[in-house]
Amino acid sequence: MSVLREYAASVVEHGSAQDPAYDEIVDAEGTLRPAWRRLLAEAGDLSTERLAGVRAEIERLLADEGAVYTPPGEEPRAWRLDPLPLVLSGREWSTLEKGLAQRAELLEAILGDLYGPRHLLAEQIVPAAAVLGHEGYVRALARPSLGDPGPLVVTGVDLGRGPTGEWQVLADRTQAPSGIGFAMENRRVLSRVLPAVHRAVDLHRLAPFFGSLRTAFARAAPPGIDDPRIVLLSPGAGSETAYDQAFIAAALGLPLVEGGDLTVRDGRVFVRVLGRLEQVDVIVRRVDAAWTDPLELRGDSRLGVAGLTEAVRRGTVTVVNSLGAGVLENPALLPFMSAICERLLDEPLRLSGVPTVWAGTPEGREEILDRRDELVVRTIDPPFEIDVDDRRALESAIAERPHRYVGQERAPRSVLPVLTDAGLRPHEITLRAFTIRQGSSHRPMIGGLATATEPGAPFRLGVSKDVWVLKESPDDPDQGIDDQPTTLGPGVPAPQVPRVLDDLFWLGRHAERTEAMVRLTIVTHALAEDFQDRRWTPGGRALDVLSSTLRALSPWDGDPADHEGDLRSVLLDARRVGSVAHGVARLQELAQSLRDQLSPDMFRVFGAIDRARGALATTPHAWQIGESAGRILTDLLALYGVAANMVRDEGWHLMEAGRAVERGLQVCHLVGPAMTVQRGHEVDREVLGAVLQAAESAVTHRRRHRGVVRATTVAELLLLDEANPRSLRHALTTLDDRLAALAGSSGSTRPERLVDDLLDELARVEAPALLAIDGDERPNFARFARATVDQLMRVADAVAEVHVAVGPAPRSLGFSGSGS
Amino acid sequence: MRYRVRHRTTYTYDAPVANSYGLAYVIPRPLPFQRVDSAEVRIVPEPSDLRRDDDHFGNVVTYFQVTAPHTELVVESESVVDVRAPVLDPEALATPWEAARPLQRPDLPDSWRAVDLALPSTLVDQTEQAREYAARSLQPGRPIGEAVTELMHRIHADFDYRKGATTVTSRIDEVFSVRAGVCQDFAHLTLACLRSHGLAARYVSGYLATSPPPGKERVVGADATHAWAAVWLPDGSWLAVDPTNDQWLNNRYVTVAWGRDYKDVPPVKGIIFTEARGSTLAVSVDVAPVV
Repeated sequence: MSVLREYAASVVEHGSAQDPAYDEIVDAEGTLRPAWRRLLAEAGDLSTERLAGVRAEIERLLADEGAVYTPPGEEPRAWRLDPLPLVLSGREWSTLEKGLAQRAELLEAILGDLYGPRHLLAEQIVPAAAVLGHEGYVRALARPSLGDPGPLVVTGVDLGRGPTGEWQVLADRTQAPSGIGFAMENRRVLSRVLPAVHRAVDLHRLAPFFGSLRTAFARAAPPGIDDPRIVLLSPGAGSETAYDQAFIAAALGLPLVEGGDLTVRDGRVFVRVLGRLEQVDVIVRRVDAAWTDPLELRGDSRLGVAGLTEAVRRGTVTVVNSLGAGVLENPALLPFMSAICERLLDEPLRLSGVPTVWAGTPEGREEILDRRDELVVRTIDPPFEIDVDDRRALESAIAERPHRYVGQERAPRSVLPVLTDAGLRPHEITLRAFTIRQGSSHRPMIGGLATATEPGAPFRLGVSKDVWVLKESPDDPDQGIDDQPTTLGPGVPAPQVPRVLDDLFWLGRHAERTEAMVRLTIVTHALAEDFQDRRWTPGGRALDVLSSTLRALSPWDGDPADHEGDLRSVLLDARRVGSVAHGVARLQELAQSLRDQLSPDMFRVFGAIDRARGALATTPHAWQIGESAGRILTDLLALYGVAANMVRDEGWHLMEAGRAVERGLQVCHLVGPAMTVQRGHEVDREVLGAVLQAAESAVTHRRRHRGVVRATTVAELLLLDEANPRSLRHALTTLDDRLAALAGSSGSTRPERLVDDLLDELARVEAPALLAIDGDERPNFARFARATVDQLMRVADAVAEVHVAVGPAPRSLGFSGSGS
Repeated sequence: MRYRVRHRTTYTYDAPVANSYGLAYVIPRPLPFQRVDSAEVRIVPEPSDLRRDDDHFGNVVTYFQVTAPHTELVVESESVVDVRAPVLDPEALATPWEAARPLQRPDLPDSWRAVDLALPSTLVDQTEQAREYAARSLQPGRPIGEAVTELMHRIHADFDYRKGATTVTSRIDEVFSVRAGVCQDFAHLTLACLRSHGLAARYVSGYLATSPPPGKERVVGADATHAWAAVWLPDGSWLAVDPTNDQWLNNRYVTVAWGRDYKDVPPVKGIIFTEARGSTLAVSVDVAPVV
């Protein structure tokens, strides 16, 4: 019998594992729920093995897309998706949908009231302390001059199901709701790995929703602007949901910008594009409001735009969602939601919230203390659960600032299995649903993002699930939208703001640096395999030279004799500065924030690298080091293909300039230590041979010099030979060309002057003089290698300054006088 | 009394500033006891953008942006105001202080507005020390006017006025530990004492006209910005007290702006973009009587 039927049968027989929780698959009478009947008809014969295969396929696809999630304070980890979706029938969805639409409308009405007439406070429908004590209430917006606090274009709401199957609101997400990109990605992946099932069950597709999302952002523009410029303001590639942001930016064709890319002039917001300023009409923000304006909000923020609040108040730009929207996430509003709904919308509240008690009244305080064993006690912002074991401590914390605490009943959650290594296991489901503003109403996304957690496990360890809402009739239009928008995607290439140019320059540098390190790793590994037990041989001495070159570039604090451990860590340890793993992590981060600029092929490269590293991590054999390094090299070489297919614009020239700078640097790092010292004929031959391999020039050298390796021939080939693409001279002429093509270049800018000096210097160099011996050393060569490295570093700094600078960081005007 | 107030703030940088955004709270607000006859702000270099607005608390705030490269920024205001001593209802002052806690008075239609000023704010921690210190003045049933006045006397007596003892971001427990501070610290301290007992109290910034010593000429520019505190009374009025000078607000005080604490109403604050490493600040205030 198949795995799903088996699970259903066992639930019927033994009851749900989490009785009396609502089971998503089987009802209390032991009958399959209608939505699942349809799914089982299609997927019922899936075996555990087949399902495990699907899961592996999902992992591979997600890795190829570079889908990652970064839990706060942790390293990015792969986005996780379970093969089994949460399936809901059209009928049960339609009830939920009305509740969601009402809630979004209600939240927007609350926003309008709290930043406008404040009837809710004046009429004491909501206690003033519950609102005014919340950090999300932005007083800089709450001014008489503000017309409209701005729209709630996107809302997210977290829901759980009680034992009767009724959805309850756990939390409202209005500040900058994340997850729509992940939901879309989940669907894209699942529809590829379960194509037949996906086709057969008639579910609502998500694509039309995305079309509506772009329209919703555009309609949020200030009045009178027909073709608004919209940007997505991100806190940066290291943020928790960077992938989600980049996905939306790429899918909707919105430039992904950071605070430094924007500036305010005359109360309007502009984006810097290649030295020009272009006005921005809509900012879709993924930065929390407090961090968006160092002038009026948090002064220590580096993520914001000075003057943004003023621009918003003047109505020259719309920030989505409103800068004031954070106040709606306040759990202290939940107990009053029903009364608020009656007051503002004049209708009963459809979706109830999880029962919540506010500590701001003596009765509320008393109730929370009495029921502290059954309630979850939270501060209202951030809404973190606090420890309630110590009654005295809880009592005094609440007594000090009672208005900042709530007690909530444990969130009800339904049960649905997740495929684990031990087969299907029941998990608890949280559903994040989304709405977008359409005209004056709010339309829910028919679908969502579900998170499944093991009972009792923290939310961040959960695995995501796609949400399938089945159509009541096969003729229902997807998302209930008849006029399907035409294809999505960037019509015009996203502008190259300074942040993008900087990222591309570094992408080029890290690609080259990482490739050089992989080559060095391969050569060092080959020497180690042959000579690590014969240290006294010429090969053993060469191993020492190469190994110390590698460790100079990427310091290693392990046992110096442990070459295998060293090289393993170079490939695997992302925290080791200068390592291959470190370089790959940087590349991935850059690619993430450049998602809208790069071909998806880029992410396939990382997927393949991850697999090569995975193979090494699980294999104890030393040969796997060479094997995995070789595969990583092949994958990195694919980046040339990605670059070859890019449009030759400012960004491309900068990326290639970055690569050229780094190629020059790397060749110096390699030949410097190898050739500065003369170690005897035998040893030098081994060292130079290894250097030629690491510089990918061994074949050329052999062809020209029939296997006779001398310092002069190596220096000529690696430093002076214009025709060798791996040589210093070639790197410099390439750099010269790339720089000349940049918009800001004149032929005499500082980076160009520095490169010209280097080329002049190189033209004067003659190999014999350069390699003149003094004792065991080559002092001219040592000086040359050092000076070239220094000069190239200056070039890199100058390029950054002249071509990608966003100017200095914002600083405070200085403290003003404190008076008498 | 009628005064002409000149308030000049000058920032000097050791390298050019390319772009500067600022907010200034330097224009007195009109009040029942304060008529503002004229008020102007002048910024040098000429700002590319300048806008006056009323903020959340009804204060006049000036937003400006200077895009001309500069090594010196001057924000100067000049206003003419006519001030009387505030008149308060003796009955309101006689209210037991417990009845002036806005959170306990939902029966009063406007008490919710005062709630904002009864909650803790960034620079005003409601510490246990402040609560205990204030408890000696806030005896049960005591009239609020009397209790707050006594608290003011005690702060004036117990804390030394000393420049440099604290900084603009000093917190309440620092002020308690050094037992000294400037007007801003005394104002914050008063707020912490009153709020920790549930009273609503606001931070007020402004100017105080000083008299020259007998027989001496008035020295122009020797005055300073000043700050004090005001406590909410159940009739919606506010009793303003100056613990630095141990007196109630009178016709020598010019009120500029109020908020939860200093951070809501600094005279000038801003964000600059520059490579400069250092800046110096000079403030001069002159409150001159006019007829």
